[in-house]
Amino acid sequence: MSVISVSLSDVRADLIFAHEQAWSALSQPGTWWSGAQKRELAQTALLAISESEPSPPWVAASTVADKNLQIHFASSAAHDAVYRIARHAATLTSDWYQRVTQEIEPLAFIELCGVVCTVATVSAFRRALDLGIPELAPATLGEPSRIKPANVVDATLNWVPVIAPADENAAVVQAFTAVPETNRVIWAMADAQYIPDKEMVDPHWTRGTLSRVQMELVATRVSQQRECFY
Amino acid sequence: MLSWSGTEQGLEISLENVQNTTGGVGVSYARELVDFATAATEFDLAALTTARNNLINVAGLAVAIDASAVIANFEMMTRLADSTGARMQTEVVQDRLAVATAMGVDKVISRR
Repeated sequence: MSVISVSLSDVRADLIFAHEQAWSALSQPGTWWSGAQKRELAQTALLAISESEPSPPWVAASTVADKNLQIHFASSAAHDAVYRIARHAATLTSDWYQRVTQEIEPLAFIELCGVVCTVATVSAFRRALDLGIPELAPATLGEPSRIKPANVVDATLNWVPVIAPADENAAVVQAFTAVPETNRVIWAMADAQYIPDKEMVDPHWTRGTLSRVQMELVATRVSQQRECFY
Repeated sequence: MLSWSGTEQGLEISLENVQNTTGGVGVSYARELVDFATAATEFDLAALTTARNNLINVAGLAVAIDASAVIANFEMMTRLADSTGARMQTEVVQDRLAVATAMGVDKVISRR
């Protein structure tokens, strides 16, 4: 069987742009983490996703000597959280979140989740098409902005705090709102990868390739593989 | 979402078929799409290459690229949901329990 090769030039420009924006942000100062910290955490996420024999969920990745995690700028707790989310997200519990956020401030935790989500989505796309995972850019110097929105409140539908009013949108929609830049980057990718937010209510919407029901079929299979109840 | 969009398009979707990776009744290229999504979320690169080739051969490159984008999106959204403790309202969970059971995800840890 001959292998059909795919080139980046075959990919829609809007999708390339969304991925490039998100990937470059992994090395830039964010809201709660520096560029060096985010880049280092992204490397741990890449390792977690790609390992054929990962650490089990109950083992802190930073304690496994032969993993050789590069822990220079972010804490071991942050790396362990990244590894767990990247590789074992379906095993996370409220107790785990409570323990992690005793060491990582909740809004910083949200941005950390955004780093994992970016790594997971871009690497999954590239791997599916055998395009190769892009290199992470060198870290950009600078401090995180540490700008906390004024209207951050607790939510019923998420562990993490959200922008008020809470629980008026779906849990996944409000989940990252307390860190607006992370929220923007993630949903820009979602718009390009799946269904633009404004089209979500239209069961007949299509880009001209996959029908809506074909998209949902693929989405359902991935969610099932990841044991995601939501 | 799959049940809803299928119904809206006059298609009967068998969620058990998705669980068993045999695709969905009446959905074009269902077998190839499910095989591709399955291979893309596992570690057998030869299987992934085969599944990608099969999908491109029957549906074209643009379909394979957009299927990859959907796969990528749900590698992101599942982690977003599970890391932030996303849950549905109790009444919504009750409404969807039959679907979750059909999919084999009614007893997973991520149900909260």
